[in-house]
Amino acid sequence: MKTLSYNEAYSKLEKLVHQLEDDSIQLDTLAEKVTQANELIALCENKLRAIEKNVAKARGEFEN
Amino acid sequence: MPPKLKLSELVDHIQETIQDRFEGEIFWITTQIVDVKKQESLRRCYLKFVEKEHNAIITEVRGVFWSFYYNWIEDFEKFTKQKFADGIEITCLVRVKFHPKFGLSLEALQIDFAYTLGTLEIERQQTLERLLQENPSTIKLLDGVYRTYNQSLPFPTVIQRIALITAPGSDGWRDFTQETEKNKHGYVFQITEFLTQIQGDLAHQLILQQLKLVETLKENFDVVVIVRGGGSQTDFKPFDNYQLCREIAGFPLPVVTGIGHDRNTSIADMMARQQKTPTKVASLIVDHNLEYENNLQSLKERFFHSVSTLLEGAKTDLVKMKRLVKLSSPDAILNRGFAIIRVDSKIVTDSKQIVEGTQMETSLKDKIIHSTVTGKTKNENTKL
Repeated sequence: MKTLSYNEAYSKLEKLVHQLEDDSIQLDTLAEKVTQANELIALCENKLRAIEKNVAKARGEFEN
Repeated sequence: MPPKLKLSELVDHIQETIQDRFEGEIFWITTQIVDVKKQESLRRCYLKFVEKEHNAIITEVRGVFWSFYYNWIEDFEKFTKQKFADGIEITCLVRVKFHPKFGLSLEALQIDFAYTLGTLEIERQQTLERLLQENPSTIKLLDGVYRTYNQSLPFPTVIQRIALITAPGSDGWRDFTQETEKNKHGYVFQITEFLTQIQGDLAHQLILQQLKLVETLKENFDVVVIVRGGGSQTDFKPFDNYQLCREIAGFPLPVVTGIGHDRNTSIADMMARQQKTPTKVASLIVDHNLEYENNLQSLKERFFHSVSTLLEGAKTDLVKMKRLVKLSSPDAILNRGFAIIRVDSKIVTDSKQIVEGTQMETSLKDKIIHSTVTGKTKNENTKL
């Protein structure tokens, strides 16, 4: 998978969750979809954490 | 036959004649004064009263203010803000004196300030009129207030580089530099001094020269400050000079004046941004920078607040997604007591796929049950 931006990853995740919500996924592909969703969640979480860290760093630099 | 006399006899005769004629009489005269020699320690002032026609002196008489009347000179300077010096015109009360050795003189007894104030005001008005008429693109009179090109120039966002025009070692110079150097916010200013005489007949020319010099270096400065200070400063004339005021009105860098007086406003003040004192000029500049810093601070706060809100929102959304995904996972489904039925390793979602005798696998959370179907009944939704 190419490196996705936060927004790209989040839109994919949103799409998957919609599919999960409206029962359009066959049970035999469910596990795969859930794994994909979990990967996207991890990616988004990592990105958010990195952004938070950068913002904190920028703020620190600003105040010094 | 003319009488033969000693010089002293003749002069005595002149003295008597003059005394007889002028004894006890006093006169108001309007005259120009030159060769003014003030002896402040002795509190007396020698001068000459002159009258000119086409710039040539046609009448000249020596004059004196004795110590008893010297306070009129001090009051004159105090009230008219004009130096009692060569070249000015005054109206004063005099009596005629003749001395055998020193000759004719006029003893001054009083000065009419109103006359001088009036003359000065007329001169000021004439200068203002001329400024308006000859410089319509840089000087305008709007609702009784003079508006100039220079005043319309905005201050740069932050003021750092200051061209300071002042007299060396003067109160104004000291007040301004101390106030800027010791500002409590720790702002650092680069002050370049353009020192000049700021009082006297040549002052306006010297100030103008410095101003022109600053103009040639204008890229190096944010503002120009013209200050002088001290309560004893009385001479306003340089700051009412036409050329100087015209230069200020059209000057390409913002000019701030602190000429140090409460009563009057010079024309130079009216062409620039006027502050009452050098200290106030410094405060204006420091406060300008402080305002910028405060704005920046609040912008920073708003920025980081928005960023936090954005991040918090994203985190909350992600947590929601995570919960939904977790609920949908096969493990979660099995954990809740549901089972997955497979026949020939394929998930069965339609009961038609199962008939009596079908071998099927039922996956529970931790085990797979292998079974053979012995019968099939309709689900009335009551046995869930």
